Amino acid sequence: MSPPPTNSDNDPVLVRVENAVKHFPKRGGLFNRVIAKVHALNDVSFTIKKGQVLGVVGESGCGKSTLGKVVIRLHRPTSGKVIFDGTDISQMSNQQLRPIRQRMQMIFQDPNSSLNPRMTVETTIKEVIGLHDVVPESKMDETIDQLLKKVGLRIDDKMKYPHEFSGGQKQRIGIARALAVNPEFIIADEPVSALDVSIQAQVLNLMMDLKEELGLTMLFVSHDLKVIDHFCDSMLVMYLGNVVEEMPCEDIHAHAKHPYTRALLSCNPITDPDQRGELTVLEGEVPSPYDPPAGCPFVTRCAIKTKQCETENPPLLDRGNGHRVACWEVE
Amino acid sequence: MNRIKQMINTREAKKLWRNKLALVALAIIMLYLLAALFVMAGGISRVTCDTVIGPNKMPGFYRQDTPEKRYENSTKKFLTKVKRALAAEDVEGALSEVSLGPFTVVNKSPAELEMLVAEVDALAGELNESPNLDIDPSLLPKIADLEAAEAQLKAPLTAWQQFVYDVSILLGTDAQGRSIFLRGIYSIKIAIQIGLVTAIFAVSLGAFLGAAAGYFGGWVDHVVVWIYTTFSSIPNLVLLVVLAYAFTNSAAKDTLLPVYIAFGATFWIGTCRVIRGETLKLKEMEYVHAAQTAGFGPVHILLRYILPNTAHLMLINFSLLLIAAIKSEVILSYLGFGVKNQPSWGIMIRDAGNNGDVVGGFFWEIGFATALMFVLVLAFNILSDALQDAFDPKHV
Repeated sequence: MSPPPTNSDNDPVLVRVENAVKHFPKRGGLFNRVIAKVHALNDVSFTIKKGQVLGVVGESGCGKSTLGKVVIRLHRPTSGKVIFDGTDISQMSNQQLRPIRQRMQMIFQDPNSSLNPRMTVETTIKEVIGLHDVVPESKMDETIDQLLKKVGLRIDDKMKYPHEFSGGQKQRIGIARALAVNPEFIIADEPVSALDVSIQAQVLNLMMDLKEELGLTMLFVSHDLKVIDHFCDSMLVMYLGNVVEEMPCEDIHAHAKHPYTRALLSCNPITDPDQRGELTVLEGEVPSPYDPPAGCPFVTRCAIKTKQCETENPPLLDRGNGHRVACWEVE
Repeated sequence: MNRIKQMINTREAKKLWRNKLALVALAIIMLYLLAALFVMAGGISRVTCDTVIGPNKMPGFYRQDTPEKRYENSTKKFLTKVKRALAAEDVEGALSEVSLGPFTVVNKSPAELEMLVAEVDALAGELNESPNLDIDPSLLPKIADLEAAEAQLKAPLTAWQQFVYDVSILLGTDAQGRSIFLRGIYSIKIAIQIGLVTAIFAVSLGAFLGAAAGYFGGWVDHVVVWIYTTFSSIPNLVLLVVLAYAFTNSAAKDTLLPVYIAFGATFWIGTCRVIRGETLKLKEMEYVHAAQTAGFGPVHILLRYILPNTAHLMLINFSLLLIAAIKSEVILSYLGFGVKNQPSWGIMIRDAGNNGDVVGGFFWEIGFATALMFVLVLAFNILSDALQDAFDPKHV
């Protein structure tokens, strides 16, 4: 795999992931040996510049959530580096990580399980603020009120417990908790996929506004190309733990090259009948992550595969304008 | 205040409130607790329980003792004691020590007492050693006269003493003439005490070890699982008996300590298993991930995020363990390894059945002990069932 592209403009890089690999061992048999490995991430590299939003898209089980969790160090990568603002955090201990945790936060997928049912909104936020001493005790109440206002909740909501809120409101609380420590970098792990479509738009718009207002850098994980297109500056397409394409989010329909990205795009409902293309239906199943194919990960379902694809994994080659594709067959 | 309101307003509390049977059970448990508190406050002492208050195996309120048996066991006994006191060197002192249950000698000079005793003796002379009314019914008035005469020897009871005496003999006496009612009530305290101490200890230890094992995984998990599988492979009663034996010659042998240790060593296992399983589930919840990404340490996460969310399991386990401990205590005491030198339902049941007395019609001791235990265990079973239902989201 080629080294990640050097940034042409002088925007400093906030997050750089280099050749990250994550395997989950499966144990069993006699003496609890490792009998198999899930190849969740396979040699993933990318960079996020300050103030940018990078989208990660892919189908279920492709490793996009694992990627988010490796970047925020909920998982320790098996190998490779995660460099946050010049520091390699990939092998740090929890103790060493604590000051960095204040600068990176996560917004979770399921609003119903992302809040402790036994804590009021106020306690939830207060705990995080108190841990990092972001504001003095005397200003705590004021800060919490401002945060709640910022995410569009009422101030008297803070004495309530999570079960008294709707899904959208809970997600707003989750966002408030993430923002409470004034982070620079936010990982959003499918933040709207569990919400109704109408609520999705509200929460997305809220996140957009906050991003503009606070100048956040984000890693935005989603399986919805439209959300990514709407929200992100550039995107990674993942398949079976591999990045197969990286491209700026400008007219992705016209630029997408990898057969998997094209298939994903064709599944997206388009309201204008004139723009509708042919629907590419992928045949077959995703190979088991315990035993990925030797060559290109997509080879089992690809329509344009050749002999080479079955034996050699194509590198992620730069095709200009920050567009990288991992495929032997596209130029 | 707000917190209490929150607690009462939960769905679980409302469900429990709607379950009337559970409320009855709760009321019964409260009564038991009150009785235990009464005993603990000194209402019934160990000495009271061991005091002989009357003839052996006297039936309770439901059946009068036969007159000749009353004469045999009560009248004659008191008379003998008074006579012995009058013959002693320090007559005044000996007289003040004479007592049978609540009865003491009336405050008269020894000379007056001797006259009274002579009067009673004269009446007794007309009866043979062991009168039998079936053979000679005409003896009945004589016995009545004798009792009336002897009553003059006894100091009159105050209203309170009379009440206490009536309560004590409410359910009769055991084979040694001790009050069954008082012993039964005292045993409530023993049972509740052992139940509470065991349940609190077992639930705390089980929850702590289970949560730590589930959350940290790795070698901590291996060690905890190894310990509890090892402990649970030993038959429970055998371990308890062995532990009880180990204490036979120590200073703690007459206290409840051996029982606590024996129960504490085994009862945490079930809770530990359940809490470990729940922790394995909870640690993958996103709010735990959120706490981890916020930078909280493992102890904080365990105490604030994991354990509070297993509270319902702890509550149910607590209630189940309490019953189990009470039942085991009774079994152990029945076998002679449990409570020693103080009343317990197990000991009462054993005493009652010792010489085949139950077959001979002496049912009230075993009956009362069993009934007390039965009602308590039943009430707790109903309550823990109701708790389980209340916390089960699938149960409406």
